[in-house]
Amino acid sequence: MPELRIEATVNGRKVARAAKPHLRLLDFLRDDLGYTGAKEGCGAGECGTCSVFVDGVLLKSCLVPVAKAQGTTIETVEGLGHAGGLTVLQQAFHKAGASQCGYCIPGMVMAATAALRANPLASREEIKERLGGNICRCTGYQKIFDAVELARDVRNGRRPASALAEEDPVDGAFIGASVRRLDAPSKVSGALKYAGDMVMPHMLHLAVLRSPHAHARIVSIDTSEAEAVSGVEGVITAVDVPGIDGFGVFVHDQPIMARGKVRYVGEQVAAVASEDPLVARRALARIKVVYETLPAVFDAHEAMRPGAPVLHDYAPDNIVKHIPIRVGDVEKGFAESDLIVEEIYSTQQVEHAYLEPEAGLAYVDHDGVVTIVSPSQNITHHRHMLSRIIAQPISKVRFIMSPVGGGFGGKEDMVYQGMLALMAMKTRRPVRLVFTREESIITTAKRHPSHTTYKMGLMRDGRIRAAAIKLVSDGGAYGMSTEGVMRKAAILAAGPYSIPNVKIDTYGVYTNNTPSGAFRSFGALQSQFATETHLDICAEKLGLDPFAIRRINAMRDGAVTHTKQTLKSVSMLRALDATEQVSRWETGAPTSRGDVRRDLAGEGTRPPCTLGTRFANSAGKDSESEVA
Amino acid sequence: MARKRGRGVAACWYGIARTATVDRAGAWAEIDDGGTAKIVTGVTEIGEGILTVLAQIAAHEIGVRPQDVTIGDNDTARSPEAAHAGATRQTYMIGNAVALASRQARAALVEVLARYWNVDSRTIKTAAGEVWAEGTNHKMPMSEAVHIAKSRGVVPVGSASFGTDTTGLDPVDGSGRPWQAYVFGCQVAEVEVDTLTGEVQVLGIWAVHDVGRAVNPRGVEGQIEGGIVQALGQGLMEDYRTVNGHAATPNLAKYILPTSLDVPHVTSVILEDPDPIGPLGVKGIGEPAMIPTIPAIMNAIYDAIGVRMTSLPATPEKVLEAMGRRARAARQPVAAE
Ligand code: FES
Ligand code: FES
Repeated sequence: MPELRIEATVNGRKVARAAKPHLRLLDFLRDDLGYTGAKEGCGAGECGTCSVFVDGVLLKSCLVPVAKAQGTTIETVEGLGHAGGLTVLQQAFHKAGASQCGYCIPGMVMAATAALRANPLASREEIKERLGGNICRCTGYQKIFDAVELARDVRNGRRPASALAEEDPVDGAFIGASVRRLDAPSKVSGALKYAGDMVMPHMLHLAVLRSPHAHARIVSIDTSEAEAVSGVEGVITAVDVPGIDGFGVFVHDQPIMARGKVRYVGEQVAAVASEDPLVARRALARIKVVYETLPAVFDAHEAMRPGAPVLHDYAPDNIVKHIPIRVGDVEKGFAESDLIVEEIYSTQQVEHAYLEPEAGLAYVDHDGVVTIVSPSQNITHHRHMLSRIIAQPISKVRFIMSPVGGGFGGKEDMVYQGMLALMAMKTRRPVRLVFTREESIITTAKRHPSHTTYKMGLMRDGRIRAAAIKLVSDGGAYGMSTEGVMRKAAILAAGPYSIPNVKIDTYGVYTNNTPSGAFRSFGALQSQFATETHLDICAEKLGLDPFAIRRINAMRDGAVTHTKQTLKSVSMLRALDATEQVSRWETGAPTSRGDVRRDLAGEGTRPPCTLGTRFANSAGKDSESEVA
Repeated sequence: MARKRGRGVAACWYGIARTATVDRAGAWAEIDDGGTAKIVTGVTEIGEGILTVLAQIAAHEIGVRPQDVTIGDNDTARSPEAAHAGATRQTYMIGNAVALASRQARAALVEVLARYWNVDSRTIKTAAGEVWAEGTNHKMPMSEAVHIAKSRGVVPVGSASFGTDTTGLDPVDGSGRPWQAYVFGCQVAEVEVDTLTGEVQVLGIWAVHDVGRAVNPRGVEGQIEGGIVQALGQGLMEDYRTVNGHAATPNLAKYILPTSLDVPHVTSVILEDPDPIGPLGVKGIGEPAMIPTIPAIMNAIYDAIGVRMTSLPATPEKVLEAMGRRARAARQPVAAE
């Protein structure tokens, strides 16, 4: 295809470039012009991280073919401030603490800039509506709304410019002061380079061939045709691993690339490197893998039954980990109870959906040190594991942690760094890999789903006598963090309550599903969801207020936990008191009394929304203010 | 009335740092030229604000300002080992390690100055870039103090490892000491349920969390707000599904995330019950923030419409289905009579 000639004004500078016609405006800005402030969070118009202005209109540049840029005026986040300074809005993001990982922030700043350009007096509700196309996974949006309101007020004089400045700490004490984030300027300006923004001279791009099967034996892999493709610089498979293959947070059961068999759909089987990412991707089709499909299991309970397909030889029962906790005698406790309540709870697999898809850059340096730059949450452990896998001393393995565009536990697994290292070693060139959103979703760990059977015995006065909790969780095809997740789920399962008789069992199980792994709150979210919902049911049956039933059972200073640890200081009662007070809670048993309670719709709530109405209302106001 | 409101409450507890194993983290500190400080440690920002927290801690302990602190890159070949960025351990583990290392660096500087001024080292104070000896006229900028120390052969440096006194769990009854610091919290949720569509809106969350000691209160709020919205996503909409192992929700068009229009107003209250063991009293917030949210929302749904959502997520379809079941169950006994 002939190249296009693009002439445009970008951030106030005239540019004239040849561009490949299949590129998107996002690629042109990032790869050809180096404006990496625009990010690719999804490549499909769903997240807003790629937002830029084209002739003053806010567009998602991942949806715009580069040809459309011809003759336009484009602004990216890098072009908003003058001479490297920050706009009022960017300063407001800094002041309000509106950036966390920062990956959504350039797009968010663009969308917020558009919002205030469209209506300099936009209300908080209108701001929310105008930011509706931009996802942030970290902040919960509240501080972003605060920032946009602050910028609005400073710009129209309702608040002084000093409202954007750092506040002096009380008595010079920097611990306890809401110091503005030191990394925020680099995030609101788009200057911060994440791994996928980094380039090195002579760099190759990696593309990964993935398993189409949930469970299959690999009969053969033939890479010769792919290797013969012009522009392909290297192909790797499991045979390229020089040391002891296997990684994982607790058990090292996962090979760098599938070895002998595949255990889930999307598992990495081979990888290709080329200077042109398109060449690398196309060459994947030339790798011939012969599979022999095996019976697969997709349900944790089925996987625990005798005769179920076995995933890993070392675990013939498919159990990754069982954690038991025992206190007293639950059967005796149930017999003594006035009330027994039983229920089943279940939670689903959840995607981390950090806005930054996995990315990394690897090279072998002049001293032969294999170096991997990636947003890994655990470079220490990765260094140890990789040194064994590539049979090099630890001093010859170097991990550098790049800024993390959201992790939440999902970047603790060394899922792609091994492939990067192997390819850098094989080609002796820098190699970069950037996952697509689809690759990130279908191949990396999820939050463990859970199935919990719960039985609780209580006395009439609300005291819990006994709790029996059994939680079974689908860990998917590899161990990853399952063992730790089951441990934390178990230790914290019965909640911060003193209970004389406790029986807890958690089971993490192998299946041929997408692996489950570390995710913020790590099993404790699943088990405490069950406990806290269960307590509400019990409170209703006993006619007790939900705070009261928790207070009756709450651990206090000196309490002994379910693992028989004595806690010196327990803030549980203080937390209950403070919550009851700040929420203006109206005391009463949880009997579905929403219709009659009088503590609703007060301070601390937002107005309910019907999509579009706020926009319509404020649009009306816009025209009024224009008339005025 | 098609729209019904309700409220629910839920509490939580959580352990800080790595579980049922000894956790440890290392850090180096140097008081550097120009009265600045350099902190090197093997862990860095994943978005929670730890770089700023560490700069505040170092500034506070050494007596400079946070903007004078440079935090070195996290690089296994260049920085001391500090393990991973997770487990709600950063402020606790790395924060305490940085505090200890900073105290050591400061002590090295103070010792030189005590000799230089011929005063008792206990009278020497440092704050916001200045050094002085109490009860005297001796006072100078930190930059000069560093210069004096270096010309007397002392680089004011410190290094420290912070470790936990923890054990594994007994394989039979689970007894053990998995963490040395625990936090507690509680949240109330207020929801509105559309009984025609089954849609649940969370309008307000009141969240109270013990963090030990808040280094940066705005950052703590950011963790609470972000955690709540992630939990809201899992509670009401997010659902990664596979069919025979094949992802049915492989992109952000199918995998639904909370947007700016879905989020409640969050009122955060920070409780401080200082950790008695670590040098700073800090604990943590990242993970516990999201634990009470889902049960609080589910309990609020029950309050509003009388159905128990025990299977997540409580999507509009599942809420309507549960309402239908409840209505049928309510009719049945009547039919039987
Ligand atoms: S909307 Fe363009 S990358 Fe997500
Ligand atoms: S700060 Fe918004 S996605 Fe991380």
